This record gives sequence, C-alpha cells and structure tokens, in this order.
Amino acid sequence: MATLPSSVTATGTVARPQPPALRRVRRRRRPSGEPPPLPRHLNASGKWWLAASGAVVLAWIAVAVTGSVSLFDAADTRVLQAFAQLRSPALTRVALVAGGLATPVAVYLLWVANFAILIVLRRWRHLFVWVGVGLVIEALGSTMLTVLQRPRPYEVELIGRWAGYSMPSLPITVLTAFLVSTLYSLVPAGRHRATGKWVICGLLAVTALSRLYLAQDHPTDILAGAILGVAVPLAAFRWLAPNDVFPVTYHRGRTAHLDVTGIRGEAIVRALQDQLGLLATSVQPFNLSGSGGSTPLRIGVKSDAADGDTYVFAKLYAATHVRSDRWYKLGRTLLYGRLEDEQPFHSVRRLVQYEDYVLHLMNDAGLPVSHPLGIVEITPEREYLLVTEFIAGSREIGEAEIDDSIIDQGLSAVRRMWEIGLAHRDIKPANLLVRDGQLVIIDTAFAEVRPSPWRQAVDLANMMLVLALRTDAERVYQRARRQFSEEEIAEAFAATRGLTMPTQLRRMIRQQGRDLHAQFLALLPYRLPPVRIQLWSWRRVVLTIATLIGAFLGLMIAISMLGQPL
Amino acid sequence: MRPARAAAVPVLAVGGLLAGCASDSTAITSSPLCSEGPHGAGNGVILMAQSVPTATWVPCIGSALPQGWNFHHLDARNGVSRFWLDSDRDGQQAVEVRLEKSCDTAGATQVPSDREGMTRLERVDRISPAYSGTRYYLFDGGCMTVVFSLDGDNAGEALAVSSQVVGAIARSDLAAQVHEESGGRLSLDPDPGEGG
Repeated sequence: MATLPSSVTATGTVARPQPPALRRVRRRRRPSGEPPPLPRHLNASGKWWLAASGAVVLAWIAVAVTGSVSLFDAADTRVLQAFAQLRSPALTRVALVAGGLATPVAVYLLWVANFAILIVLRRWRHLFVWVGVGLVIEALGSTMLTVLQRPRPYEVELIGRWAGYSMPSLPITVLTAFLVSTLYSLVPAGRHRATGKWVICGLLAVTALSRLYLAQDHPTDILAGAILGVAVPLAAFRWLAPNDVFPVTYHRGRTAHLDVTGIRGEAIVRALQDQLGLLATSVQPFNLSGSGGSTPLRIGVKSDAADGDTYVFAKLYAATHVRSDRWYKLGRTLLYGRLEDEQPFHSVRRLVQYEDYVLHLMNDAGLPVSHPLGIVEITPEREYLLVTEFIAGSREIGEAEIDDSIIDQGLSAVRRMWEIGLAHRDIKPANLLVRDGQLVIIDTAFAEVRPSPWRQAVDLANMMLVLALRTDAERVYQRARRQFSEEEIAEAFAATRGLTMPTQLRRMIRQQGRDLHAQFLALLPYRLPPVRIQLWSWRRVVLTIATLIGAFLGLMIAISMLGQPL
Repeated sequence: MRPARAAAVPVLAVGGLLAGCASDSTAITSSPLCSEGPHGAGNGVILMAQSVPTATWVPCIGSALPQGWNFHHLDARNGVSRFWLDSDRDGQQAVEVRLEKSCDTAGATQVPSDREGMTRLERVDRISPAYSGTRYYLFDGGCMTVVFSLDGDNAGEALAVSSQVVGAIARSDLAAQVHEESGGRLSLDPDPGEGG
C-alpha cells in the first residue's frame, strides 16, 4: 500500500497513521444480465395486479373491436337478475347500508382523514403518492367512463344512488384505491399490513355484493374497478414510496436513514466483497443523529492484522438523499441567495462520485481526511455506498483536549485547502475529529473545488471559532497569525457571521455564553466591512416568485380539495 | 426551509391543480344526441331514460346547436338527469334541461304545446335586466323542465334554441333500440311482471 502524504502544519509535518490492513479477496465483475446486489423490483403481487390491469384494458379494446359488448351485457344482466331474485325489503335495507362505504360522504371522510393524518405525521412522501394515486385513478376512471359510455344495467330495477356511466364502477375504483393507499401510507409493513389487506378484501366484498344486489353496477364494472383500484396504488407506493426506503413507522427517528437489515444488509455484504474485495462481518448504523443527508454505517470487515477484525466507515446514499439535497439547496437559495455558489446534484451516482473525488483530492494533497476505499453500487442509480477508513478511537473536537498542535493542524488544513483551491464549507465540531493528538477532517460532501474567495475565508473563520470553543480566542488568534496575515483573518471574520456558521457551531457558541466572533474581532488591529451575504439575482427573484405562487396555489387548492376530494 | 416543508408546497400545488381539472368525474361531456347515425340515440339518452324509469319521453339534442351555443355537460343520476347549454351571449349554463319523474309547476301557465303528447306550461320569473323563466313539459311518468337563466337582454334566441334544438325521444323507441343492439337478448326496462 502506498504511503500516505504527511499532514503539513506551520510547525512541520504530522505523520498520518496507516489505515488498518484490510483483508482483501479477489473482486468480481458482475456479468451482463446478472441483477445488481439489491435489484429494484415490484413484488410478485404488484406485477400480478399490473398484468390484470393490462388485461382489463385489452379486454375493453377486444370488446370494442369485436362488437361483443352485448354478450357481456347479457351475461352481466343474468347475474344481476339472479341477485334481484333474492330481493326483499329487509335485504334491500341491509344492502343500502352495506354499500355506504362507496358513497361520496364515506369516500370524502376517508380522504380528509388521510390528508389530516399524513400532514400531522409529516409523511409528505406518502401524502404526495396518496394524492397522486387519487388523481390518477379518478382521471383514469372518468376517462374510461367517457370512452366506453356503458349505460347502467338493463332489464333490472336499479336501487339506490348512482351517477353517470357504469364501466368501470367509479365508486369501487376510487374506494379500492383509497383503501389500498390508506393501507400503504398508514399501516406498517408486516403482520398489520397483511391483516389490513384481508380487512380491505372483506370491505370490498361487502360493498361489491351490495352494489350487485342493488344492480347499481354490472359485475364486470366492479371487477374492472377493483383491479384498477388495487393496481394503481400498489404500483405507485411500491415504486415511489417503497417500504424499505420510506417505512411506515410510529416511533421517532430521522426518515433519511435506510434500514440496513434484511435484504439490504445482505446486499451490502455481497457488494462489498464483489466490488471492493472486503469481507464484511457486520453492518451497523453509526452516529445516525449526526447525519441527515445519508445513512452512516460502521462495517466490520476481516483484517490481516493480528488483532482480527476491524472496521470501515461507509455512507449509504439513496435517491431520496439527492432529492432532499435539492430541496435543501432550493430553500437556502430562497432564504440567502446564492450563498453557497452551488447547484444541486441530479443523481445519486454523481453525488457519490463527487464526494469520493473530493476525498481523494484532499487525501492526495496531504489533508488529514479518512482514507477513501471506494464506491460500491447497491442499486444502480438509486443506492451507493461510499467507503472510507474508520477513524477508530476518535472524539469530536468539541469533546477533546485541544493543544497548540491541534490548533496548528486545523489552521494548516485551511491553509492547505486554500493552496489547492478547495473549500470544505461545513467546518463544525461534528466534522473535526481528534485521534491520538491528530486532527481528522470528515464529511467532504459539501466541499467545493475552486470556490469563491468569500467561501474560503468563511472556512478559516469557522475553523478558528471551532478551535476556540475548547480554548480561547486569544490563543487561537496568536497561532493563526503564524500562518495567516492580519488581512486574511480580518477578511475571514468580515465574511462570517450568523447564518454562514453551521448550526451546530452557532448552537455551541451560544451555549457557552461567549461571543467568540466579537472576541476575534476585538483582537484584530483593524476591521474590514462585513461582506454582504444576501445576494439577489434574477434566478433568486424568479424562484422566490414561483415559490410564492406555488404556495398560494397550494393553499387554495388544499382548501378546495378538503371540500371536494375528487 | 426544511426539505419536508418545502416538499409540501408542490405536493399540494400539483395535486390540487389536477384535482381542480378533474372535478365532477361522472359528468358526461358528449351531447345526448337523439340520433347518432344508424345506431339511434346516444348512450347518454339511454342513461337519462334509466335515471327516470317511469318517463315515457326522454329529452335529447335533436339538431346541431346554432353558432354561439355549446353543450356544457350531462349529469345523469338516479331520479334526475340534467344537461346544460352554454351561450356566448347569454352566459354559461344559460339553458338547463331537466328530466324528473314529477315537477312543481306552481305559478306556471299552460300554453299550447309544441310537442305531441306533452302538456306545456310556462313561468316567467323575470324579464329585466335579464330573462329568467321556466318551461315545463308534462307527460306520462315524467316531466321535462327547461330553465332559462340568461345574462343577455334578448331572450328570443334562447327560447328558440330550446324549441328547435332540444328534442325528445319516446321511451319505446329507446327500448326497441336496446333490444335490437343486444341481438334480442335484453330489454331496457325490467319485465313489469317480475319483482326485480
């Protein structure tokens, strides 16, 4: 293994320890046609229901082309007439009550209840899919009604409420879709959801029998409606809100984190061996509270060292993290302008590639970062693992003892980043670890190559503020003067205030009750005027106006939807 | 802005926009024509007949609408069917045609009928600043109501349109059509002798 470049400081170099000797096995290329470690798939039942939907559409086309609708009408009518033979006043009253679930009032209550619950639970993804399913189902159903124009059943008395054409049965279609959507957005997967499916089957069976008895729909209308009503939400939830990425749970926790047990855990172990030659023995979430943009993992791996197994660190990124990153950056653009000089990533693969590249860049430049070990593909274009050295025995800088050497290492890291044209952009206590008297910088996801001078200056000020948390401003300032001019430090503190500091850093300064920023300013022989943070551009203006219009429309529409779900 | 909250905005906007476009999903936007070529009346007319099983006559669109007039939509449901005509001068849904089993004709005056087998009554509610009135056609088992809610000051055109364009087809003709189209297998209405 190549020797790592030493960390350079103002007082000399700090030798970096070699990463542990990992046992490697021969890597294996996945041959064409072989599924990836964690294939993206619909379950068998989802495929069955989609196929059934396709069959319904094909049947409609076949009936229309062959002109055989009268045959179906006749067959349906005989079934309904058989039901009509059973009619009695008492049974009719029972049937009218039993069909209550498919009435507009019941469907409306189902809609409002779900809408409210999903908003209260902040389950936006499920709400999005729920609304989308409702609209698609309604649009699909009403389009088919318009195209097929099938009258209500002939030769039998229709009892109770009905409206419009009959194929497919819109009440059954919408009710089924709403019930299945409710199941997939509110009921946790597993035993409860399995039970829920049977409950839905029972409710639909009762409703369907009621409608047949009352001759409100043809049997084939009900069959087509039920198939569409199951297939659309099933496909939507399994594709757009899969349970392993967006689990329905009722315990508190950050939803950004993926479940790494079960098939995903097995896929990670298999992928690590095939793609990096690492023999994983355990996959465990690690320090989840410190990460919202990925799922950090500590993975036990076989080692060639005498003391047995060791660990590697990995960040599991999924498509959902890219979307969150996009919204986060949009929010920051609206609030602060082009504060970060950044554009969102458009795929998870690009995100991981970028972070890996920056990590290599910093490592090659002698910066104290964890040794990059590579990228592992779990699901193509959806889930990737960024694997690095695990910094064992380290502590966050906010909890570690800080001496002049650590201060120098932190400051020299900023100097080195300036030299190679890089900004970390997230210098905060959680991203600076101390191990055996050595500083390690982690989490390079926000780093930027060739950043603005302003952004580089912010890195210096944030580093000095972090270092002063466990020491004092005077000491940090004096050490900084050995590597930076007064003008550079003055520029740094002119660029940094309030929102340019990471939230964790701001919080810790506030908790200490010390105005470290003011203390540093007081140490400077002169001050530069504050660098303006709020930058307005046409892009920001347009985005702000579009967002406000969207919010207004959303509000109006939400109000109208509460009154008229479909 | 939290990502989740930011996400809520497009959720509501997109969802709501689509919901707004898709309101009243059982509305029928094709005209209930009295005659659709060789096939007889359109299915919308049959659906109207099913909505009022006792009605011996069913309203329909008998001829092309004059320039400036458009069909709005048909709402057929148990007990009542209604369709509306839009006018570029007299406003949206200026004329409503309704079929029910019975109707309240209080205040209406009987006038000579222009339709065979039907009794015609008229009630004028207002003539200024815009015309508002109701025309009734009573027949065995049903009532056809034509409601005028006009924005313009000249009611003549709307009244003429309702007479010329809005037609009526006998239930017996519809029953014969259903019987023929089903190859003699089905009838429009249940056999009166059966309980069903």
